[in-house]
Amino acid sequence: MKKQIKLAATLLMLTPLVLLTSCGGDDPIEEPIEEVVEEVVEERNEEYYQIPSPDEMFGFIKESGLKFNGELLNDIQSSASYTDPTKQAMNFGVYSADLAYTAAYEEFNETTKYFGTIQKMADPIGISSAFDKSLIERAQSNLDNADSLVAITNTSYFAVVDYLDQNQQGDKLGIIAASGWLETVYIVANTTKYDSDKSAVDRLADQRLTLDNLLDYFTKYEDKEETKEMMGWLRELEMVFAQKETAEENSGSGISLKKKDNGKMVLGGSSEKKTSISKEQFNAIKDKVNEIRNKIVSTEEA
Amino acid sequence: MKFISKIVLIAVIVVSPAVSFGQYCNYFHSKYCQPSENDMFKLNGQSKSALFAKGQTSELNIIVYKGQDYRISLCMDENLGAQIQFKVYETKKVKVEKIFETKTTEDEYKPCEDCNGEGTMDNESCYTCNGEGQNATGETIEVIDKETKIVTEKRKELLYDNSQDGFSSEIEFTVESTRRLTVEVTIPGGGSGGGKSKGKMMKSSDMGCVGLLVEHMTTPIAGFKGTGF
Repeated sequence: MKKQIKLAATLLMLTPLVLLTSCGGDDPIEEPIEEVVEEVVEERNEEYYQIPSPDEMFGFIKESGLKFNGELLNDIQSSASYTDPTKQAMNFGVYSADLAYTAAYEEFNETTKYFGTIQKMADPIGISSAFDKSLIERAQSNLDNADSLVAITNTSYFAVVDYLDQNQQGDKLGIIAASGWLETVYIVANTTKYDSDKSAVDRLADQRLTLDNLLDYFTKYEDKEETKEMMGWLRELEMVFAQKETAEENSGSGISLKKKDNGKMVLGGSSEKKTSISKEQFNAIKDKVNEIRNKIVSTEEA
Repeated sequence: MKFISKIVLIAVIVVSPAVSFGQYCNYFHSKYCQPSENDMFKLNGQSKSALFAKGQTSELNIIVYKGQDYRISLCMDENLGAQIQFKVYETKKVKVEKIFETKTTEDEYKPCEDCNGEGTMDNESCYTCNGEGQNATGETIEVIDKETKIVTEKRKELLYDNSQDGFSSEIEFTVESTRRLTVEVTIPGGGSGGGKSKGKMMKSSDMGCVGLLVEHMTTPIAGFKGTGF
Protein backbone atom coordinates (compact mmCIF):
# COMPACT_ATOMS: atom_id res chain seq x y z
CA MET A 1 0.00 0.00 0.00
CA LYS A 2 2.80 2.37 0.96
CA LYS A 3 4.50 1.64 -2.35
CA GLN A 4 1.32 2.45 -4.25
CA ILE A 5 0.85 5.73 -2.39
CA LYS A 6 4.45 6.64 -3.19
CA LEU A 7 3.88 5.77 -6.84
CA ALA A 8 0.71 7.85 -6.93
CA ALA A 9 2.49 10.79 -5.31
CA THR A 10 5.37 10.54 -7.78
CA LEU A 11 2.96 10.47 -10.71
CA LEU A 12 1.06 13.40 -9.25
CA MET A 13 4.23 15.44 -9.18
CA LEU A 14 5.60 14.33 -12.54
CA THR A 15 2.54 14.35 -14.78
CA PRO A 16 1.94 18.12 -14.66
CA LEU A 17 5.62 18.68 -15.40
CA VAL A 18 5.42 16.50 -18.50
CA LEU A 19 2.36 18.35 -19.67
CA LEU A 20 3.63 21.81 -18.84
CA THR A 21 6.71 21.13 -20.88
CA SER A 22 4.66 19.83 -23.77
CA CYS A 23 2.16 22.70 -23.58
CA GLY A 24 4.54 25.50 -24.28
CA GLY A 25 6.88 27.60 -22.24
CA ASP A 26 8.55 30.73 -23.49
CA ASP A 27 9.03 29.44 -27.04
CA PRO A 28 6.32 28.34 -29.43
CA ILE A 29 5.78 24.59 -29.70
CA GLU A 30 7.60 23.19 -32.68
CA GLU A 31 7.67 19.46 -31.99
CA PRO A 32 4.49 17.42 -32.06
CA ILE A 33 3.40 16.53 -28.55
CA GLU A 34 3.97 12.94 -27.62
CA GLU A 35 0.61 11.56 -26.73
CA VAL A 36 1.30 9.67 -23.56
CA VAL A 37 -1.74 10.50 -21.54
CA GLU A 38 -5.38 10.07 -22.31
CA GLU A 39 -7.72 11.79 -19.99
CA VAL A 40 -11.40 12.06 -19.45
CA VAL A 41 -12.53 15.63 -19.73
CA GLU A 42 -15.96 17.08 -19.74
CA GLU A 43 -15.85 18.74 -23.11
CA ARG A 44 -18.61 21.29 -23.22
CA ASN A 45 -19.38 24.72 -24.44
CA GLU A 46 -18.67 27.31 -21.82
CA GLU A 47 -20.18 30.73 -21.44
CA TYR A 48 -18.21 33.38 -19.62
CA TYR A 49 -19.67 36.66 -18.42
CA GLN A 50 -17.13 39.41 -17.86
CA ILE A 51 -17.59 42.52 -15.78
CA PRO A 52 -15.57 45.63 -16.65
CA SER A 53 -13.08 46.30 -13.87
CA PRO A 54 -13.65 49.44 -11.72
CA ASP A 55 -10.64 51.30 -13.17
CA GLU A 56 -12.32 51.55 -16.57
CA MET A 57 -15.23 53.45 -15.09
CA PHE A 58 -13.11 55.68 -12.87
CA GLY A 59 -10.75 56.49 -15.73
CA PHE A 60 -13.79 57.56 -17.70
CA ILE A 61 -15.39 59.76 -15.03
CA LYS A 62 -12.06 61.41 -14.31
CA GLU A 63 -11.72 62.26 -18.00
CA SER A 64 -15.30 63.55 -17.90
CA GLY A 65 -14.29 66.08 -15.25
CA LEU A 66 -16.02 64.61 -12.21
CA LYS A 67 -14.30 65.49 -8.93
CA PHE A 68 -13.01 63.07 -6.32
CA ASN A 69 -15.19 62.76 -3.24
CA GLY A 70 -13.45 60.95 -0.38
CA GLU A 71 -16.62 60.93 1.72
CA LEU A 72 -18.07 58.28 -0.54
CA LEU A 73 -15.39 55.73 0.36
CA ASN A 74 -16.22 52.94 2.79
CA ASP A 75 -14.32 53.65 6.01
CA ILE A 76 -11.36 51.30 6.36
CA GLN A 77 -11.99 51.14 10.11
CA SER A 78 -15.09 49.08 9.34
CA SER A 79 -13.09 46.30 7.70
CA ALA A 80 -12.48 44.44 10.98
CA SER A 81 -16.21 44.46 11.75
CA TYR A 82 -17.09 42.23 8.83
CA THR A 83 -16.92 38.74 10.26
CA ASP A 84 -19.50 36.91 8.18
CA PRO A 85 -17.72 35.30 5.18
CA THR A 86 -20.23 36.57 2.61
CA LYS A 87 -20.10 40.07 4.07
CA GLN A 88 -16.29 39.90 3.99
CA ALA A 89 -16.36 38.98 0.30
CA MET A 90 -18.82 41.78 -0.44
CA ASN A 91 -16.74 44.38 1.31
CA PHE A 92 -13.57 43.09 -0.28
CA GLY A 93 -15.25 44.04 -3.57
CA VAL A 94 -16.25 47.43 -2.17
CA TYR A 95 -12.72 48.21 -0.93
CA SER A 96 -11.24 47.02 -4.25
CA ALA A 97 -13.42 49.52 -6.08
CA ASP A 98 -12.48 52.23 -3.56
CA LEU A 99 -8.82 51.40 -4.14
CA ALA A 100 -9.29 51.80 -7.91
CA TYR A 101 -11.11 55.12 -7.30
CA THR A 102 -8.31 56.56 -5.15
CA ALA A 103 -5.64 55.33 -7.59
CA ALA A 104 -7.42 56.82 -10.61
CA TYR A 105 -7.56 60.20 -8.85
CA GLU A 106 -3.98 59.91 -7.56
CA GLU A 107 -5.01 60.12 -3.93
CA PHE A 108 -1.80 58.42 -2.86
CA ASN A 109 -2.34 58.41 0.91
CA GLU A 110 -5.76 56.89 0.53
CA THR A 111 -4.48 54.37 -2.00
CA THR A 112 -1.85 53.14 0.44
CA LYS A 113 -4.48 52.64 3.14
CA TYR A 114 -6.93 50.86 0.87
CA PHE A 115 -4.25 48.62 -0.61
CA GLY A 116 -3.28 47.60 2.94
CA THR A 117 -6.93 46.97 3.80
CA ILE A 118 -7.69 44.65 0.90
CA GLN A 119 -4.40 42.86 1.51
CA LYS A 120 -5.46 42.26 5.14
CA MET A 121 -8.96 41.19 4.15
CA ALA A 122 -7.62 38.72 1.58
CA ASP A 123 -6.44 36.39 4.34
CA PRO A 124 -9.77 35.52 6.01
CA ILE A 125 -11.41 35.29 2.59
CA GLY A 126 -8.76 32.75 1.58
CA ILE A 127 -7.32 34.65 -1.36
CA SER A 128 -4.07 35.91 0.12
CA SER A 129 -2.18 33.70 -2.39
CA ALA A 130 -3.37 36.08 -5.11
CA PHE A 131 -1.20 38.80 -3.56
CA ASP A 132 2.31 37.56 -4.18
CA LYS A 133 5.33 39.15 -2.60
CA SER A 134 6.49 40.88 -5.79
CA LEU A 135 3.10 42.55 -6.24
CA ILE A 136 3.16 43.95 -2.71
CA GLU A 137 6.76 45.14 -3.12
CA ARG A 138 5.95 46.80 -6.44
CA ALA A 139 2.94 48.52 -4.90
CA GLN A 140 4.98 49.80 -1.97
CA SER A 141 7.75 51.16 -4.18
CA ASN A 142 5.36 52.88 -6.62
CA LEU A 143 3.00 54.60 -4.24
CA ASP A 144 3.84 58.02 -5.68
CA ASN A 145 3.71 57.05 -9.34
CA ALA A 146 0.18 57.50 -10.69
CA ASP A 147 0.46 55.30 -13.79
CA SER A 148 2.21 52.48 -11.97
CA LEU A 149 -0.25 52.66 -9.14
CA VAL A 150 -3.24 52.25 -11.43
CA ALA A 151 -1.46 49.38 -13.15
CA ILE A 152 -0.68 47.71 -9.82
CA THR A 153 -4.20 48.08 -8.46
CA ASN A 154 -5.42 46.54 -11.72
CA THR A 155 -2.92 43.72 -11.42
CA SER A 156 -4.09 42.96 -7.89
CA TYR A 157 -7.73 43.02 -9.00
CA PHE A 158 -7.08 40.72 -11.96
CA ALA A 159 -4.95 38.43 -9.75
CA VAL A 160 -7.89 37.98 -7.37
CA VAL A 161 -10.32 37.38 -10.26
CA ASP A 162 -7.98 34.86 -11.81
CA TYR A 163 -7.24 33.10 -8.53
CA LEU A 164 -10.92 32.60 -7.72
CA ASP A 165 -11.69 31.57 -11.27
CA GLN A 166 -8.94 28.97 -11.35
CA ASN A 167 -9.87 27.63 -7.93
CA GLN A 168 -13.50 27.01 -8.80
CA GLN A 169 -14.76 29.72 -6.45
CA GLY A 170 -16.98 31.37 -9.03
CA ASP A 171 -19.67 32.13 -6.46
CA LYS A 172 -17.25 34.13 -4.31
CA LEU A 173 -15.88 35.82 -7.42
CA GLY A 174 -19.40 36.82 -8.42
CA ILE A 175 -20.07 38.34 -4.99
CA ILE A 176 -16.79 40.31 -5.08
CA ALA A 177 -17.29 41.49 -8.68
CA ALA A 178 -20.92 42.46 -8.08
CA SER A 179 -20.07 44.38 -4.90
CA GLY A 180 -17.19 46.14 -6.65
CA TRP A 181 -19.45 47.05 -9.52
CA LEU A 182 -22.17 48.33 -7.15
CA GLU A 183 -19.60 50.48 -5.32
CA THR A 184 -18.47 51.88 -8.68
CA VAL A 185 -22.05 52.71 -9.67
CA TYR A 186 -22.64 54.18 -6.19
CA ILE A 187 -19.65 56.50 -6.53
CA VAL A 188 -20.59 57.58 -10.05
CA ALA A 189 -24.27 58.14 -9.18
CA ASN A 190 -23.36 60.24 -6.14
CA THR A 191 -20.71 62.29 -7.93
CA THR A 192 -22.72 62.99 -11.08
CA LYS A 193 -24.91 66.06 -11.43
CA TYR A 194 -27.78 65.11 -13.68
CA ASP A 195 -28.10 68.49 -15.38
CA SER A 196 -24.44 69.07 -16.20
CA ASP A 197 -22.70 65.67 -16.50
CA LYS A 198 -24.43 64.17 -19.53
CA SER A 199 -21.74 61.65 -20.45
CA ALA A 200 -21.61 60.31 -16.89
CA VAL A 201 -25.42 60.05 -16.85
CA ASP A 202 -25.26 58.07 -20.10
CA ARG A 203 -22.56 55.82 -18.68
CA LEU A 204 -24.72 55.19 -15.64
CA ALA A 205 -27.69 54.28 -17.84
CA ASP A 206 -25.44 51.87 -19.77
CA GLN A 207 -24.80 49.92 -16.59
CA ARG A 208 -28.01 48.06 -17.31
CA LEU A 209 -26.00 45.94 -19.76
CA THR A 210 -23.32 45.18 -17.18
CA LEU A 211 -26.08 44.23 -14.77
CA ASP A 212 -27.42 41.79 -17.41
CA ASN A 213 -23.98 40.18 -17.60
CA LEU A 214 -23.83 39.91 -13.81
CA LEU A 215 -27.26 38.32 -13.56
CA ASP A 216 -26.42 35.84 -16.30
CA TYR A 217 -23.16 35.04 -14.52
CA PHE A 218 -25.04 34.31 -11.29
CA THR A 219 -27.53 31.89 -12.86
CA LYS A 220 -24.83 29.20 -12.57
CA TYR A 221 -24.72 29.77 -8.82
CA GLU A 222 -28.35 30.52 -8.02
CA ASP A 223 -28.67 27.44 -5.81
CA LYS A 224 -25.84 28.62 -3.58
CA GLU A 225 -27.04 30.10 -0.32
CA GLU A 226 -24.22 32.69 -0.30
CA THR A 227 -25.28 34.28 -3.58
CA LYS A 228 -29.03 34.55 -2.90
CA GLU A 229 -28.92 37.87 -1.08
CA MET A 230 -26.78 39.51 -3.76
CA MET A 231 -28.92 38.09 -6.57
CA GLY A 232 -32.03 39.45 -4.86
CA TRP A 233 -30.53 42.92 -4.72
CA LEU A 234 -29.42 42.79 -8.33
CA ARG A 235 -32.89 41.74 -9.44
CA GLU A 236 -34.40 44.66 -7.53
CA LEU A 237 -31.99 46.96 -9.32
CA GLU A 238 -32.85 45.33 -12.65
CA MET A 239 -36.49 46.27 -12.08
CA VAL A 240 -35.49 49.91 -11.60
CA PHE A 241 -33.34 49.89 -14.74
CA ALA A 242 -36.11 48.12 -16.69
CA GLN A 243 -38.35 51.16 -16.20
CA LYS A 244 -36.15 53.05 -18.64
CA GLU A 245 -36.60 50.59 -21.50
CA THR A 246 -38.26 51.96 -24.57
CA ALA A 247 -39.96 50.36 -27.50
CA GLU A 248 -36.98 51.35 -29.61
CA GLU A 249 -34.65 49.28 -27.46
CA ASN A 250 -36.88 46.28 -27.85
CA SER A 251 -36.92 46.43 -31.61
CA GLY A 252 -34.34 44.86 -33.89
CA SER A 253 -31.12 46.80 -33.68
CA GLY A 254 -29.94 46.83 -37.28
CA ILE A 255 -26.48 47.62 -35.95
CA SER A 256 -23.31 46.64 -37.71
CA LEU A 257 -19.59 46.41 -37.39
CA LYS A 258 -18.48 48.08 -40.57
CA LYS A 259 -15.24 49.24 -42.03
CA LYS A 260 -15.25 52.96 -42.76
CA ASP A 261 -13.31 54.59 -45.57
CA ASN A 262 -10.25 54.96 -43.38
CA GLY A 263 -10.26 51.19 -42.77
CA LYS A 264 -11.38 51.56 -39.17
CA MET A 265 -14.31 49.52 -37.99
CA VAL A 266 -17.19 51.24 -36.27
CA LEU A 267 -19.76 49.56 -34.10
CA GLY A 268 -22.89 51.56 -34.65
CA GLY A 269 -26.02 51.42 -36.70
CA SER A 270 -29.27 52.83 -37.89
CA SER A 271 -31.15 52.35 -34.67
CA GLU A 272 -28.46 53.68 -32.41
CA LYS A 273 -30.40 54.21 -29.27
CA LYS A 274 -30.32 57.15 -26.94
CA THR A 275 -29.21 55.88 -23.58
CA SER A 276 -30.13 59.04 -21.72
CA ILE A 277 -32.47 58.64 -18.82
CA SER A 278 -34.85 61.12 -17.27
CA LYS A 279 -34.00 62.85 -14.02
CA GLU A 280 -36.61 60.71 -12.25
CA GLN A 281 -35.06 57.54 -13.62
CA PHE A 282 -31.60 58.73 -12.66
CA ASN A 283 -32.77 59.40 -9.10
CA ALA A 284 -34.58 56.06 -8.89
CA ILE A 285 -31.41 54.19 -9.91
CA LYS A 286 -29.32 56.26 -7.51
CA ASP A 287 -31.73 55.64 -4.60
CA LYS A 288 -31.79 51.88 -5.19
CA VAL A 289 -28.00 51.68 -5.51
CA ASN A 290 -27.58 53.73 -2.30
CA GLU A 291 -29.98 51.43 -0.50
CA ILE A 292 -28.16 48.25 -1.60
CA ARG A 293 -24.71 49.72 -0.96
CA ASN A 294 -25.71 50.75 2.56
CA LYS A 295 -26.81 47.19 3.28
CA ILE A 296 -23.46 45.87 2.03
CA VAL A 297 -21.26 48.19 4.07
CA SER A 298 -23.36 48.18 7.25
CA THR A 299 -21.36 46.69 10.09
CA GLU A 300 -22.79 43.77 11.98
CA GLU A 301 -23.11 45.76 15.22
CA ALA A 302 -25.13 48.45 13.48
CA MET B 1 -7.93 -2.35 -0.57
CA LYS B 2 -6.11 -2.98 -3.84
CA PHE B 3 -9.17 -1.82 -5.72
CA ILE B 4 -9.26 1.48 -3.78
CA SER B 5 -5.55 2.05 -4.44
CA LYS B 6 -6.13 1.48 -8.14
CA ILE B 7 -8.92 4.05 -8.16
CA VAL B 8 -6.69 6.56 -6.34
CA LEU B 9 -3.94 5.94 -8.88
CA ILE B 10 -6.26 6.37 -11.87
CA ALA B 11 -7.78 9.51 -10.34
CA VAL B 12 -4.32 11.01 -9.88
CA ILE B 13 -3.38 10.30 -13.49
CA VAL B 14 -6.68 11.57 -14.84
CA VAL B 15 -7.19 14.69 -12.75
CA SER B 16 -3.72 16.15 -12.36
CA PRO B 17 -3.09 16.90 -16.06
CA ALA B 18 -6.43 18.71 -16.34
CA VAL B 19 -5.62 20.82 -13.29
CA SER B 20 -2.13 21.66 -14.48
CA PHE B 21 -3.35 22.47 -17.99
CA GLY B 22 -6.04 24.74 -16.59
CA GLN B 23 -3.58 26.62 -14.45
CA TYR B 24 -1.12 26.83 -17.31
CA CYS B 25 -3.73 28.81 -19.23
CA ASN B 26 -3.67 31.40 -16.45
CA TYR B 27 -2.67 34.79 -17.92
CA PHE B 28 -2.18 33.15 -21.35
CA HIS B 29 -3.68 36.24 -23.04
CA SER B 30 -1.27 38.63 -21.32
CA LYS B 31 1.73 36.38 -22.01
CA TYR B 32 1.12 35.30 -25.59
CA CYS B 33 -1.38 37.62 -27.32
CA GLN B 34 0.41 40.40 -29.14
CA PRO B 35 -0.78 43.73 -27.72
CA SER B 36 -1.49 46.69 -29.97
CA GLU B 37 1.48 48.73 -31.11
CA ASN B 38 -0.56 51.78 -30.19
CA ASP B 39 0.49 52.69 -26.63
CA MET B 40 -2.86 54.37 -26.01
CA PHE B 41 -4.51 50.96 -25.74
CA LYS B 42 -4.78 49.60 -22.20
CA LEU B 43 -5.39 46.07 -21.03
CA ASN B 44 -9.09 45.58 -20.41
CA GLY B 45 -10.16 43.48 -17.42
CA GLN B 46 -12.62 41.54 -19.55
CA SER B 47 -9.78 39.63 -21.23
CA LYS B 48 -9.85 35.89 -20.61
CA SER B 49 -7.82 32.72 -21.09
CA ALA B 50 -9.19 29.20 -20.99
CA LEU B 51 -8.41 25.61 -21.80
CA PHE B 52 -10.02 24.47 -25.03
CA ALA B 53 -10.42 21.10 -26.71
CA LYS B 54 -10.59 20.62 -30.45
CA GLY B 55 -14.15 21.01 -31.65
CA GLN B 56 -15.11 23.12 -28.67
CA THR B 57 -16.99 26.40 -28.85
CA SER B 58 -17.08 28.89 -26.00
CA GLU B 59 -18.53 32.33 -25.57
CA LEU B 60 -17.23 35.38 -23.81
CA ASN B 61 -19.78 38.07 -22.98
CA ILE B 62 -18.33 41.55 -22.65
CA ILE B 63 -19.51 45.15 -22.46
CA VAL B 64 -18.10 47.76 -24.83
CA TYR B 65 -18.71 51.39 -24.01
CA LYS B 66 -19.64 54.33 -26.19
CA GLY B 67 -16.75 56.66 -26.94
CA GLN B 68 -14.09 53.96 -26.67
CA ASP B 69 -12.01 52.06 -29.18
CA TYR B 70 -11.54 48.36 -28.59
CA ARG B 71 -9.11 45.82 -29.92
CA ILE B 72 -9.89 42.14 -29.51
CA SER B 73 -7.15 39.65 -30.39
CA LEU B 74 -6.84 35.90 -30.11
CA CYS B 75 -3.83 33.72 -29.44
CA MET B 76 -3.63 30.00 -28.92
CA ASP B 77 -1.34 27.02 -28.48
CA GLU B 78 -0.08 25.89 -31.86
CA ASN B 79 -1.47 22.37 -31.57
CA LEU B 80 -4.98 23.84 -31.83
CA GLY B 81 -4.27 24.97 -35.39
CA ALA B 82 -3.96 28.36 -36.98
CA GLN B 83 -7.49 28.92 -38.23
CA ILE B 84 -9.56 29.48 -35.16
CA GLN B 85 -12.94 30.87 -35.93
CA PHE B 86 -14.33 33.75 -33.98
CA LYS B 87 -17.56 35.59 -34.35
CA VAL B 88 -18.83 38.70 -32.66
CA TYR B 89 -22.51 39.05 -31.87
CA GLU B 90 -24.54 41.74 -30.24
CA THR B 91 -26.51 40.22 -27.40
CA LYS B 92 -29.59 41.91 -26.13
CA LYS B 93 -32.53 41.09 -23.99
CA VAL B 94 -35.81 41.88 -25.64
CA LYS B 95 -39.30 41.72 -24.28
CA VAL B 96 -41.65 39.68 -26.42
CA GLU B 97 -45.26 38.64 -26.12
CA LYS B 98 -45.63 34.89 -25.82
CA ILE B 99 -48.77 32.80 -25.75
CA PHE B 100 -48.73 30.06 -23.14
CA GLU B 101 -51.18 27.18 -23.53
CA THR B 102 -52.41 25.10 -20.63
CA LYS B 103 -54.37 21.92 -21.30
CA THR B 104 -57.02 20.64 -18.93
CA THR B 105 -59.76 18.02 -19.23
CA GLU B 106 -63.36 18.86 -18.46
CA ASP B 107 -66.70 17.04 -18.54
CA GLU B 108 -68.46 17.42 -21.85
CA TYR B 109 -71.85 19.06 -21.86
CA LYS B 110 -74.44 19.32 -24.59
CA PRO B 111 -77.49 21.55 -24.80
CA CYS B 112 -80.64 19.90 -23.55
CA GLU B 113 -82.36 20.65 -26.85
CA ASP B 114 -80.21 17.89 -28.33
CA CYS B 115 -82.47 15.40 -26.54
CA ASN B 116 -85.60 17.56 -26.36
CA GLY B 117 -85.57 17.48 -22.60
CA GLU B 118 -86.27 13.81 -22.49
CA GLY B 119 -84.83 10.46 -23.27
CA THR B 120 -81.27 9.60 -22.52
CA MET B 121 -77.91 10.82 -23.62
CA ASP B 122 -75.04 8.42 -23.01
CA ASN B 123 -77.14 6.74 -20.34
CA GLU B 124 -77.75 9.98 -18.51
CA SER B 125 -81.24 11.32 -18.26
CA CYS B 126 -81.99 14.73 -19.74
CA TYR B 127 -85.02 15.45 -17.62
CA THR B 128 -83.10 17.44 -15.03
CA CYS B 129 -82.74 20.43 -17.32
CA ASN B 130 -86.24 20.36 -18.66
CA GLY B 131 -85.14 21.20 -22.16
CA GLU B 132 -83.02 24.16 -21.01
CA GLY B 133 -79.40 24.55 -20.13
CA GLN B 134 -76.81 21.78 -20.56
CA ASN B 135 -76.48 18.19 -19.65
CA ALA B 136 -73.33 16.10 -19.09
CA THR B 137 -72.64 13.58 -21.81
CA GLY B 138 -70.44 11.46 -19.57
CA GLU B 139 -67.47 12.11 -21.83
CA THR B 140 -64.45 14.35 -21.14
CA ILE B 141 -62.96 16.85 -23.51
CA GLU B 142 -59.55 18.58 -23.65
CA VAL B 143 -59.72 22.33 -23.07
CA ILE B 144 -56.83 24.62 -24.03
CA ASP B 145 -56.48 27.88 -22.11
CA LYS B 146 -54.35 30.54 -23.77
CA GLU B 147 -52.60 33.25 -21.80
CA THR B 148 -50.45 36.01 -23.24
CA LYS B 149 -47.41 36.91 -21.16
CA ILE B 150 -44.51 39.30 -21.73
CA VAL B 151 -41.22 37.45 -21.38
CA THR B 152 -37.60 38.48 -21.79
CA GLU B 153 -35.64 36.68 -24.47
CA LYS B 154 -31.94 36.81 -25.25
CA ARG B 155 -31.21 37.51 -28.89
CA LYS B 156 -27.93 37.46 -30.75
CA GLU B 157 -27.17 39.31 -33.94
CA LEU B 158 -24.03 38.49 -35.90
CA LEU B 159 -21.78 41.51 -36.39
CA TYR B 160 -18.49 39.98 -37.46
CA ASP B 161 -17.21 36.61 -38.62
CA ASN B 162 -13.47 36.22 -39.07
CA SER B 163 -13.99 33.41 -41.62
CA GLN B 164 -15.20 36.21 -43.93
CA ASP B 165 -12.09 38.21 -43.14
CA GLY B 166 -9.28 35.75 -43.95
CA PHE B 167 -9.42 34.21 -40.45
CA SER B 168 -7.96 37.36 -38.99
CA SER B 169 -7.06 36.89 -35.33
CA GLU B 170 -7.82 40.47 -34.32
CA ILE B 171 -10.30 43.26 -34.81
CA GLU B 172 -10.25 46.87 -33.82
CA PHE B 173 -13.32 49.05 -33.69
CA THR B 174 -14.83 52.27 -32.42
CA VAL B 175 -18.01 52.04 -30.37
CA GLU B 176 -20.71 54.61 -31.07
CA SER B 177 -23.18 53.27 -28.54
CA THR B 178 -22.67 50.96 -25.58
CA ARG B 179 -23.26 47.32 -26.43
CA ARG B 180 -23.18 43.91 -24.90
CA LEU B 181 -21.15 41.68 -27.19
CA THR B 182 -20.65 37.94 -27.32
CA VAL B 183 -17.34 36.75 -28.72
CA GLU B 184 -17.76 33.15 -29.83
CA VAL B 185 -14.57 31.14 -30.31
CA THR B 186 -14.58 27.79 -32.10
CA ILE B 187 -11.63 25.43 -32.33
CA PRO B 188 -11.85 23.34 -35.48
CA GLY B 189 -11.50 19.56 -35.45
CA GLY B 190 -12.52 17.21 -32.72
CA GLY B 191 -14.59 14.85 -34.93
CA SER B 192 -18.27 14.77 -35.57
CA GLY B 193 -19.12 14.84 -31.89
CA GLY B 194 -18.34 18.54 -31.86
CA GLY B 195 -18.31 20.31 -28.57
CA LYS B 196 -21.44 18.80 -27.20
CA SER B 197 -20.29 15.37 -26.11
CA LYS B 198 -19.72 14.78 -22.44
CA GLY B 199 -17.02 12.65 -20.92
CA LYS B 200 -15.31 12.16 -24.26
CA MET B 201 -11.82 10.68 -24.23
CA MET B 202 -9.43 13.45 -25.19
CA LYS B 203 -5.78 13.28 -26.05
CA SER B 204 -3.51 15.89 -24.56
CA SER B 205 -2.61 17.02 -28.08
CA ASP B 206 -6.26 17.82 -28.67
CA MET B 207 -6.23 20.40 -25.92
CA GLY B 208 -4.58 23.75 -25.53
CA CYS B 209 -4.88 27.27 -24.22
CA VAL B 210 -6.73 30.07 -25.97
CA GLY B 211 -6.31 33.67 -24.88
CA LEU B 212 -8.65 36.49 -25.78
CA LEU B 213 -7.01 39.84 -25.19
CA VAL B 214 -9.30 42.86 -24.93
CA GLU B 215 -7.73 46.33 -25.04
CA HIS B 216 -9.45 49.70 -24.89
CA MET B 217 -8.75 53.40 -25.19
CA THR B 218 -10.75 56.59 -25.40
CA THR B 219 -11.64 57.20 -29.04
CA PRO B 220 -9.19 59.82 -30.33
CA ILE B 221 -10.81 63.01 -31.57
CA ALA B 222 -9.67 63.65 -35.14
CA GLY B 223 -9.17 67.11 -36.56
CA PHE B 224 -8.56 70.50 -34.96
CA LYS B 225 -11.31 70.25 -32.33
CA GLY B 226 -10.49 72.30 -29.27
CA THR B 227 -7.33 73.79 -30.73
CA GLY B 228 -8.86 77.15 -31.57
CA PHE B 229 -8.75 76.67 -35.34
